[in-house]
Amino acid sequence: MNAPTSSLVPVLKLERVARSRASRPAVRDLSLSLETGQILGLLGVNGAGKSTTLSLIAGALMPDSGTIHLQGQDFLEHPELARQTIGWLPEAAPLWPELTIREHLDAHGRLRGFSGARLKQAGDAVLERLELQDLSQRLAGVLSQGQRQRLGLACALLHRPALLVLDEPANALDPVQVVALRKLLRELAAEGTAVILSTHQLTEVTAVCDRVAILHEGVLRHDAPLPPDQHAALEKTFFDIAMNGRAQAA
Amino acid sequence: MTLFAVTRLELRRLFVRPLGWTIGALALAELGWRFALLLQLFLLNQVKLAALPDGPGYTDLVAVRLYSSLITGSPLPFGVTELALLVVPLLTMSTLASERSTGTLPLLFSTGLSASRILLGKYLAVLIWLALWLLLAIAVPVSLAHGVTLDWGKLAAATLGTFLALAVLAAVGVACSAFASHPAVAAVAALMIGIALNCINLGAQLAGVSSGFINWLAMSTHQETLLRGLVSSADIVWFLLAIAVALALGTQRLAADRERG
Repeated sequence: MNAPTSSLVPVLKLERVARSRASRPAVRDLSLSLETGQILGLLGVNGAGKSTTLSLIAGALMPDSGTIHLQGQDFLEHPELARQTIGWLPEAAPLWPELTIREHLDAHGRLRGFSGARLKQAGDAVLERLELQDLSQRLAGVLSQGQRQRLGLACALLHRPALLVLDEPANALDPVQVVALRKLLRELAAEGTAVILSTHQLTEVTAVCDRVAILHEGVLRHDAPLPPDQHAALEKTFFDIAMNGRAQAA
Repeated sequence: MTLFAVTRLELRRLFVRPLGWTIGALALAELGWRFALLLQLFLLNQVKLAALPDGPGYTDLVAVRLYSSLITGSPLPFGVTELALLVVPLLTMSTLASERSTGTLPLLFSTGLSASRILLGKYLAVLIWLALWLLLAIAVPVSLAHGVTLDWGKLAAATLGTFLALAVLAAVGVACSAFASHPAVAAVAALMIGIALNCINLGAQLAGVSSGFINWLAMSTHQETLLRGLVSSADIVWFLLAIAVALALGTQRLAADRERG
């Protein structure tokens, strides 16, 4: 559940986190913190380390060094914190094709300690919020890409997490659904949920995020608030970092 | 308990997939055929057997022999144990290998579940499925209990031996699924290891050696004792040890998955 957090304690705090993948540093010396109700846009070119960072935050991957604190508690010492605190939608929503939408929600709820009436209420609430009520008995294996993405989001939101971690959530959504997703993220932030939104789309970031972080080759190159109507400035910062990095690599 | 949430999820997946129902039904049909043949043999020899002072009865010749060909001594269709060598790998192949290929394994990790809980939860689900299958298999010979004299103690020992053999094969299957990146690879590996575990002492037996390490290593050695109605703690410890080793290896592989990413 969305636990009440002291305004002094960030929902998420990463300190000097590093992680290698395939004998190559994927994330280096990453320090980052996120407050209640903030929406952080995580930008970077392919291979910048965005998905690795999100996997580390979601607890699916362990860091080689550094610390991760969730609501002031050491996440690495208490991995069970993830069960209540984090909702994670990885890229290309992973689903069990043989289960229905309702069965997915039941399974995710039980994995997070829900049962009985509480489980049903939580399931009904996200089905309504993501407009999936009419599809609740449909098998995940026959859903369209957009419906799969919405189901993945419903599973991530079921337990009303304090931190929502989204990897390319707008992938496969049509323009109407993209607008609905932006509205949903703003509502969640207003309710106090902190959101990390990883994307390739600068427009997604400028549309919903109030802060932006840019990763390049596993290093955090930029982390600043994003004032409204700053698309051009963000675009310039992003391309400066990406192109300079490539030029240096060449 | 999140462990049982994993068990429940895996059981649901086992029961909604047609594969589980198909192999379960086909295996039961084959066992029905074996039962009919065993019963026919028993009825043919009933008069001769009745003349023997301590001759084998319905329990020895029909009920227990349904479990395994180890003590059949005649070319009949497969018993429960031999069928399980095929059925269990098909059942367990998707437990973790498909989670890895569909990307749902990191999602399970992200709920704070340890590798051992994930593996144990899935193992329990397979074990429940196999226990139900075994109950259905034994229901056929037991259904004639009102007309024959059943040695309940011997039948219980044989059932325990067969269940423990299924539990070992399930642990091997789940562990193989933890190691494999594709379900088919997991199934083939589990099949080969299951056959090896069952038949590793075949050469020694052909050479007339009935003791030694190689015979101790074979699952058939320990199951045969139980099928004959003798419950020995040494045999039960062997089964528990085999289960623990397989599950520990699977857990280690799964934990390494989380470490490696």
